[in-house]
Amino acid sequence: MQRAIKHPDPRPRAESNIVPMAGSDPVRHPNSVAAEVRNLRKTYNAGTPHAHEALKDVDLSIRANEFFTLLGPSGCGKTTLLRILGGFEMLTSGTCRIFGEDVSRLPPEARPVNTVFQQYALFPHMTVRRNIAFGLEMLGKPRAEVESTVERMLDLVHMTDYADRRPDTMSGGQRQRVALARALAPQPKLLLLDEPLSALDLKLRQKMRLELKSLQRETGITFIFVTHDQEEALAMSDRVAVISNGHLQQVGTPEDIYEQPQSRFVADFIGESNLIEAKVAGVTGGEASLDIEGFGKVHAPVAERVEDGQKVWLSIRPERLVLGSGDGQERAKVTDRTYLGNAVEYHLHVGEHALTARSPRGGLRGRQDFAPGDVVSVGFEPGSIKVLLS
Amino acid sequence: MFGKSRLGGFLAGASGLFLLLPLVAVIPFSFTAKRFLSMPDGEYSLRHYVAIFDPDTWLASIGTSTLVALLSSVIATALAAAFGIGIWLRRPASGRFLIGLVLLPIIVPPVTSAVALYFLLAQIGLLDTVPGLVLSHVVMIVPFAVIAILGALSRLDRNLELAARNLGASQMQSIIMVILPNIRFGLFAAWFVSLVMSWEESSVTLFVSGVNVITLPKRIWDNLRLDLDPAVAAISVIMILATTLVILLRKSET
Amino acid sequence: MMRAQSTPVRRYAATGSLAMLWALPVILTLAYVLPFAGVTLWSVTRPELGLQNYVRIFTGADFQAIFFRTAWVCLVSTAITIPIAYLLAYYWVMGSGRRSRLVEICIFIPFWISVLVRAFGWVVILRNNGLASDVANAFGLGGLSTGRNVWSVITGMVHFMVPFAVLPMASVMRKIDRRVLLAALGLGCRPLGVFWRIYLPMSLPGVFSALAMTFIFSLGFFVTPMILGGGRVVLTAETVFVQMFQTANWGLGAALGVVLLVAVFAILWLSQRVMRIEQLMSR
Ligand SMILES: Nc1ncnc2c1ncn2[C@@H]1O[C@H](COP(=O)(O)OP(=O)(O)OP(=O)(O)O)[C@@H](O)[C@H]1O
Ligand SMILES: [Mg+2]
Repeated sequence: MQRAIKHPDPRPRAESNIVPMAGSDPVRHPNSVAAEVRNLRKTYNAGTPHAHEALKDVDLSIRANEFFTLLGPSGCGKTTLLRILGGFEMLTSGTCRIFGEDVSRLPPEARPVNTVFQQYALFPHMTVRRNIAFGLEMLGKPRAEVESTVERMLDLVHMTDYADRRPDTMSGGQRQRVALARALAPQPKLLLLDEPLSALDLKLRQKMRLELKSLQRETGITFIFVTHDQEEALAMSDRVAVISNGHLQQVGTPEDIYEQPQSRFVADFIGESNLIEAKVAGVTGGEASLDIEGFGKVHAPVAERVEDGQKVWLSIRPERLVLGSGDGQERAKVTDRTYLGNAVEYHLHVGEHALTARSPRGGLRGRQDFAPGDVVSVGFEPGSIKVLLS
Repeated sequence: MFGKSRLGGFLAGASGLFLLLPLVAVIPFSFTAKRFLSMPDGEYSLRHYVAIFDPDTWLASIGTSTLVALLSSVIATALAAAFGIGIWLRRPASGRFLIGLVLLPIIVPPVTSAVALYFLLAQIGLLDTVPGLVLSHVVMIVPFAVIAILGALSRLDRNLELAARNLGASQMQSIIMVILPNIRFGLFAAWFVSLVMSWEESSVTLFVSGVNVITLPKRIWDNLRLDLDPAVAAISVIMILATTLVILLRKSET
Repeated sequence: MMRAQSTPVRRYAATGSLAMLWALPVILTLAYVLPFAGVTLWSVTRPELGLQNYVRIFTGADFQAIFFRTAWVCLVSTAITIPIAYLLAYYWVMGSGRRSRLVEICIFIPFWISVLVRAFGWVVILRNNGLASDVANAFGLGGLSTGRNVWSVITGMVHFMVPFAVLPMASVMRKIDRRVLLAALGLGCRPLGVFWRIYLPMSLPGVFSALAMTFIFSLGFFVTPMILGGGRVVLTAETVFVQMFQTANWGLGAALGVVLLVAVFAILWLSQRVMRIEQLMSR
């Protein structure tokens, strides 16, 4: 379980990109750990027949000033992890630290953490202004400071014109901004966002992605963002944690996660992958020779130790399969062709295996088009085969 | 939906009339000029309405009923609100059991409740006193308040409380500043229902009071059992008109 | 890989909400449930220790007559209440705007008015030489028996219970998706057939709730029967009142109260399969 901090962030943020938040400096905690959970377990209804293990031994550390995303399918435990960080749910065992302080037993109001809820949870009986002021008032800030901070927040999320409206008279995107401003106003050290964009339509979602990302840069606050939308996760995050069924699968930059999946689950969940069973037929240097039944041998680098005859899985992205004809190597049969607009997808049969290949439309890179029934050759781009042990 | 059924419409109309009939029927009797209950024989009088203002009988009972209803409805609403919010916040495993417990007074036959409350008040020496009556009324009306408040809470977004806590409010602060303002209509409904229920409570009242403390229903009861004073008709007409007015006003509002 | 000792962490202390949660149940236990125990104690200790009160209740011919009459009156009133309430609930939920509003007013005015006032209204109508006999005489139907008899009691009880019975039925009817009915019509079912084969079965849960509720209410009810029966149509609940306050027979009154309670819970238990307690309460 050391994976969590294995990958150093390869893209240190250019300091010149940071636009300080008007009137206050972005929160900076260089090199410190914003949140850390160790051996975290959560069992709902423990000790009853309905006991359910939502998180199983999770280790994770999130750096300060990072845009960190928890990604996973529905029901995998993302919200549970977020609620434990926020203090809304008690952990069953393990530890949970926020900026070094053990918060396992602190009530939510005592944590330097704020949350943007999925359905926003704006107080319906208060105006936008009063909603944003709430957290500051709870901190006992003087009136003048509350007012100036609220104005700054309204400005930050472009909602100054709506300051005296009530939440139920506003659109989803506007409510979203108010919810953000409300959570940011008390300057939390950590902001938790539970699928904040899922209630918005596609266009607005794409726009808010950019806004959220730049807001995070401007304020420098550590964001922990929950989503089950992998595109969103890849587009916004500095680092992503993939969770499945209560287990942490992999943590890394979006590139890492996409290019170097470490398990079948990640390879399959992020983007699309062809997963093929193979047998190790010899290792030389860092490279293994792999035998695919009904296809032949391929070569790929292996990081971990493997033994001859061991069963492994190969993951290949559809766009990295190269189809061709006329070179005498034809072994695959096209069973279906799907036109996708910007690409064409081919479904192939290679021996026992069903594969998917995708090629950009319009003969780019000199690729040919094929029709169902064609017999083609299949090749792999160099470095495109990823060997997975689990 | 199922075509026009004349028979169905007619029967529904008849049923509606059946429900209103006894309420309309008392109206003429309240204007009789006679001393006993009868139709006015061409002679109309308001003497029975005037009789309501007798400070020793009707007016005293109206005062008692008002006092008891105000006290018990406020107490019942407060208890029900605390209970409802407690359930909503904590979602205890025993929640269903606890709700069943507090709804018990609706399910148990009123006469059995009356015997139990009579027993209680006899033990603690509060029979036929205002505090004793308020206690019994609270027990009998609190389920209605609980139902109204649980209903309002079930429509409340749970995350509101979390958001408030998250922004630094303590549990009490979030109850006062976020939960209560958002269930204010439910609170009002709970209070109003308990007020009316207490004002009209007759079964338990008849068991636990009646000599020193005489509520309006108790006085009406005595009159119905003994001599049929036309003042009962006058009181009834006032109550019917007030109820009708409130219902029509509320209807026209929505 | 070290694993922390699995010490279950309790929710952080929130004594405030704990006190709020338990205040009402504790008060009700002390002021309501415990006294029941006292009442049960009375029923086996007054006038002396033993089960003689229960023996009396279950073997005495007078009590058997009362039980039989109670069951009969309650069954008949329930049987009359349910169709009337169903009709009103139907027109309230499904009727056109104006009709629905009229029905609603007809239901809620009596609903909110004191049971005593409503009973009084029926006294005015039904007593000897009251309105009903005047009308009967005008139509040449002299000698129509009115006044304090079992039919007066049933009329009053039906009138009392109809508004209550409407609520659970209407709440179920409101949840019926009208598109289902349109689909049935679209599939060629005749309107009356749609009612019998789709609407009625779908609204049955509400009818069951209303049935149980009406029957239970009518069992424990004594104000209306005492006023409209005038001591001539004595039902079980009224007997409790009489035993306690007119013959000062506390033990017997308490025992009857216990028997009523047991009967109600037996009925609830029986009907539990077809309805849930919340449905009984919701409107
Ligand atoms: N209060 C609870 N009691 C019992 N089980 C719960 C509770 N909350 C969540 N669970 C269960 O724990 C698991 C994880 O739930 P969680 O809400 O964390 O999922 P999620 O990853 O946020 O899913 P989604 O993307 O659908 O929001 C689920 O199987 C869920 O059924
Ligand atoms: Mg979730």
